[in-house]
Amino acid sequence: MTNTNDSMKTGYAQKRKAINTIVYIILSVMVVIWIVPIIWLILQSFNTEMGVTTKFFPSSFTFDHYIALFTDEQYPYGKWILNTFMVAALSCVISTLFILMVSYALSRLRFKVRKTFLNLGLILGMFPGFMSMAATYNIMDIFGLKQQLFALVIVYSAGAGLGYQVAKGFFDTIPRSLDEAAKIDGATRNQIFWQIILPLSKPIIVYTALTTFTGPWADYIFVSYFMKDNESNWTVALGLYKMLDKEAISTHFTTFCAGAVLIAIPITILFIIMQRFYVEGVTGGAVKG
Amino acid sequence: MASKSKKAVALLLTAMMAAAAMAGCGDSSAPATTVTSTTATESGEEELTVINLDDEEVLTTIKNKMKEEADAQTGDKKGKVSLKVWCASTDLAFEQSLAKEFEEKFADSGYELKIRVSGAIGEDASGSKIIEGPEDGADVFNFADDQLSSLVEAGDIAPVAGYFLGNVKSENTEDSIDICTVNDEVYAYPKTSDNGYFLYYDKRFFDESDVADFDAMVSKAGQSGKSVFFDMGNGWYSTGFFFTAGCTVSYKDGKQTATYNSDEGLSAAKAMCHIAENTGNGFEGTPGTMGDNAYVKAGFEDGSLVAAVIGTWVGPDIKAAIGEENVGAAKLPTVLMDGEQKQLDSFGGYKLIGVNKFSTYSFSSQVLAYYLGCPDSQLKRYQTRGLIATSTKALEDDKLKADPALLAIEAQKPYAHAQGASVSGKYWASNIGGFGGEIVTEKGKLTDDQLKTKLKQIEDQMS
Amino acid sequence: MDYLDYVQMTKGQRFAYRIKSFFTGIPGAIKKFFAIVGAIVKKIFLGLGHFFQNYGGRFVKGDIGTKLSYVIMGAGSMLHGQIMKGLIFLATEVAYIYFMITFGSYYLARIYNSNMILLTTTKTAQGYEQWGTGALGKEVAVHHTGTFGSELKNPDTYDDSNKVLLFFVLTCIVTIAFIAVYIANTKSAYASQQLKREGKKPLNFLQEMKTFLDERFHVTLLTLPIVLLITFNILPIIFTIFMAFTNYDEKHQPPANLYQWVGVKNFADVFYSNPMKSETFGKILIWTLIWAVFATFTNYIFGIILALLINKKGIKAKGFWRTMFVVTAAVPQFVTLLVMKLMLDDKGAVNSLLTSVGIPAVPFLTNATWARITVIVVNMWVGIPYTMLITSGLLMNIPEDLYESARIDGANAVQQFTKITFPYILFVTTPYLITTFVGNINNFNVIYFLTGGGPAVSEYYRAGKTDLLVTWLYKLTVDTKDYNLAAVIGIMVFIICAIGSLIAFNMSKASKNEEEFS
Repeated sequence: MTNTNDSMKTGYAQKRKAINTIVYIILSVMVVIWIVPIIWLILQSFNTEMGVTTKFFPSSFTFDHYIALFTDEQYPYGKWILNTFMVAALSCVISTLFILMVSYALSRLRFKVRKTFLNLGLILGMFPGFMSMAATYNIMDIFGLKQQLFALVIVYSAGAGLGYQVAKGFFDTIPRSLDEAAKIDGATRNQIFWQIILPLSKPIIVYTALTTFTGPWADYIFVSYFMKDNESNWTVALGLYKMLDKEAISTHFTTFCAGAVLIAIPITILFIIMQRFYVEGVTGGAVKG
Repeated sequence: MASKSKKAVALLLTAMMAAAAMAGCGDSSAPATTVTSTTATESGEEELTVINLDDEEVLTTIKNKMKEEADAQTGDKKGKVSLKVWCASTDLAFEQSLAKEFEEKFADSGYELKIRVSGAIGEDASGSKIIEGPEDGADVFNFADDQLSSLVEAGDIAPVAGYFLGNVKSENTEDSIDICTVNDEVYAYPKTSDNGYFLYYDKRFFDESDVADFDAMVSKAGQSGKSVFFDMGNGWYSTGFFFTAGCTVSYKDGKQTATYNSDEGLSAAKAMCHIAENTGNGFEGTPGTMGDNAYVKAGFEDGSLVAAVIGTWVGPDIKAAIGEENVGAAKLPTVLMDGEQKQLDSFGGYKLIGVNKFSTYSFSSQVLAYYLGCPDSQLKRYQTRGLIATSTKALEDDKLKADPALLAIEAQKPYAHAQGASVSGKYWASNIGGFGGEIVTEKGKLTDDQLKTKLKQIEDQMS
Repeated sequence: MDYLDYVQMTKGQRFAYRIKSFFTGIPGAIKKFFAIVGAIVKKIFLGLGHFFQNYGGRFVKGDIGTKLSYVIMGAGSMLHGQIMKGLIFLATEVAYIYFMITFGSYYLARIYNSNMILLTTTKTAQGYEQWGTGALGKEVAVHHTGTFGSELKNPDTYDDSNKVLLFFVLTCIVTIAFIAVYIANTKSAYASQQLKREGKKPLNFLQEMKTFLDERFHVTLLTLPIVLLITFNILPIIFTIFMAFTNYDEKHQPPANLYQWVGVKNFADVFYSNPMKSETFGKILIWTLIWAVFATFTNYIFGIILALLINKKGIKAKGFWRTMFVVTAAVPQFVTLLVMKLMLDDKGAVNSLLTSVGIPAVPFLTNATWARITVIVVNMWVGIPYTMLITSGLLMNIPEDLYESARIDGANAVQQFTKITFPYILFVTTPYLITTFVGNINNFNVIYFLTGGGPAVSEYYRAGKTDLLVTWLYKLTVDTKDYNLAAVIGIMVFIICAIGSLIAFNMSKASKNEEEFS
């Protein structure tokens, strides 16, 4: 419009530019802080030395540790990855199904003990998860599942129904008129669930699947208590932790790094692709990506 | 020799028949035959018979018995002898090779012999894991001798089988057998005698006269920017100070006591504080988060450490780091306590092989345990892993006889205290290590009152 | 103070007021917690009264079939023409009786025996073979038999306190389930009787099955999750709660040493009678709360700031910045935390960097105060990307015209943040904030992988300076086998979380009401 306005604009722009430069500097410093440990981990995984080093850059590089992961009989990393994947995938399927079933029932069906279930779910969720793992171990013994991978699947997914809150919150937002219309058309509640509600629930299904997959993928507590000395049934979390044992660290630290890098890659990619769903889940769909 | 072993075979057979007979009338309320320990002692040493595992007849007898045991198994274990062994993860490869030898030696068409060696449960924890869940435990497990009394108390360890007793008693040093004996019964097969610590040092830096006095070592190291390492944050090492001061530590009838809340205890604590004053200046007192083994290894590799109080298990690493010819080993140095130099005491002990009482292979497990601890295996263990044997025959080996580590252990022996009779799990759980760690992080700047309070807290935790 | 006073306060005062109301809210929340417990108990009793009224009433009004169902399950259904349903009821009864005779009664009887305290009776065990330990010449194989506890035992035949307690709980749960089926049986018998009286035909089996896909679809959906939940979640929790009343510790490890009931001794120990344990508990509790507050709010505030920075107008490559942070959030925690631990070691990469530039090494993880600061800071490293990720999306969601009108009103950037951005984010993320807070009370990973609870100190009972209640619980379970103490801690954590959630819930309700006002 007018010249004065233009000069004001340039003054404003300059100020904004200055602020932006500061923001860039802050962000860069932060990124360095955040990314350095990851870089260090990757660098160490190629270090020729075996033990913990205090230096940031290795003096020489090798690919041996990645090979050692799949050749070392004492630390059967390949087997662990397979175990971890199987446990995580199976738990993910069962847990997701359970969570959807329970949250649908609690959200959209009306029955007598619904309120009681809602409250009971809240109360049970407040017990520390691993408080009763000693007891759970004994129960697995009864079922002949002691130190079995399937025991882990059960542990991770049996209580999944308790995690109904987020998905229930989602189902609550779907208009009830949809159900009513379907009912008038003669659909049973079973049909409504599978054919109407679930197809609408892609974001929450992805979110649930994502969290129920990454949980078992990285769990240490239950594996460490359940698998004890059965190395061939360990998962990666426990196996990598054992590589840093007092007795092993000086020969296996770099192998640990290699293993950690390998395990981190798929899960990081998965998370980056799926982050939108994660955010939607946590914020109850308040974000429309 | 031949007639002797024949006699042994005959006895074995009698034993087996008796066992079979007893199994037939299993519901009898009292044992028909009892072996009391009195007859055992009365019968005297000369009656002990030694079995030769290389003898064909002995071998066949054992195999027959193992077959019997394999056939007695139920479910998918039927016809199989599958044993699980726990050992230190660092020893895994070696113990696996021994297990392989065993598999070959006792292989038979009558059963499938399979041994799984796991390094997941180390020697320091195996006993307590057996007690926690004997059914999940290994059939044969290596363990440090401080856990023996709790194992016996819990009733989870099987005594050494009668017919190996002669071998075990005659083949190992008397001291080691004493350690394995609880209530006149031998409960474990001795394996190594180096479950103690002494001083490793770099000969290029210290000469023999230097390593007598802790303060002198620290100041010499400090002047050149090097360090001496003593893991005060670990109760196993720091207890040495309390022994030196004259405290008594004992474990009896399930009761753990330690007279730390006393003048002697305070003297020990003050001596620790005196040394810790030099933390960062010639002295290092905690290995941080990576554990003492890795710390010492890394320290000798990068040259920051010139001496460390630790045991044989890092010996190979130190040798690799500074060259075998530069590795010196000596008894612990003296420390300044109550104004005078006193020889630092230590824990000395053994590593043993135990048989899980809940093993479904009570016989085969005994054979395997004996095999893993027999003189030949012990010698091999020394040659591969550098661990000091308890077998008299292995100790005659020229290289072993001259091993500086062995000499250091021998020199420290008068000041070394047995663990089995003095400490239990409660002792380690009392945060005695945390106490030393606090002294180090505070660089010894703690008042007498503070020390007294802490010593009392340690005592309280043991009760 | 009413709402008008509150809105007149400045931001700072409001903040102080919030803090104050948090702490003044604690007694109220505790009271409320017990009030809720009381209400639940009251409800249970009322329900029971109601139930017996109905139960008796149905019997009185029932015909022969209904009356018979009170003894022989399914009789009513069968007589009223629902053969299949009746058979299922009958089969349930038979199965339950069989279960009780062969299994349940044994364990019910053993939970509290004539010795008053032992969990199990001793039982003759036999079968273990021991080889004589005398001199070889005198050797005879001995086949030991004897009473349990004093002698050797065969794994198949001994009693085990753990199993007795577990099977006892199992039997109780099966019994409760059976009672539920039993009641359903009497109800169903009465319902079909009434239908018949009205001249209608009760549903046949197939029709009834179909209702599970429609009217009773919730039963179909919930049965399997609930059965598994009971078996692998509720059963162990009840078992663990019972454990808190026993002396199941390192000295009493079944099967060799059975454990006993000790009443409320363990709770007394934790609260007053054992100074070592009670002081440790008190101090760890305080640290847990401090940790939870700091861990939650540092992450929250700095996460929002980071999100604001990235989403600031004019900042390029937003996706790049975001991804850089998200990468660290995506790497499994046990990996990043273990790496952090090694880097922050006394001789680790960070300290060697510091010493190389002339700064003395810092005992990040070995000095108590430093370790506490370190865990909070590292937790920020772990958690900030998450908050950033979540709030980034929210920021983009705030209608631009809100800012536009604020700018016209002359609001500066700070005012825009406090008036628009922050209230909006707070409103949407309050539930997330509450779950994060409870999650932080139970934050095992950061503490365990970083410091392992250390540095250990002599004044704590088997714990270190950075231990939270949950990591202490884990160590007591896994390392020192103080199962009874661990159970008590678990129960306490539960109560704390319940009270914390109540306070938070009340506060969030208040803040939502506030939204409605403005």
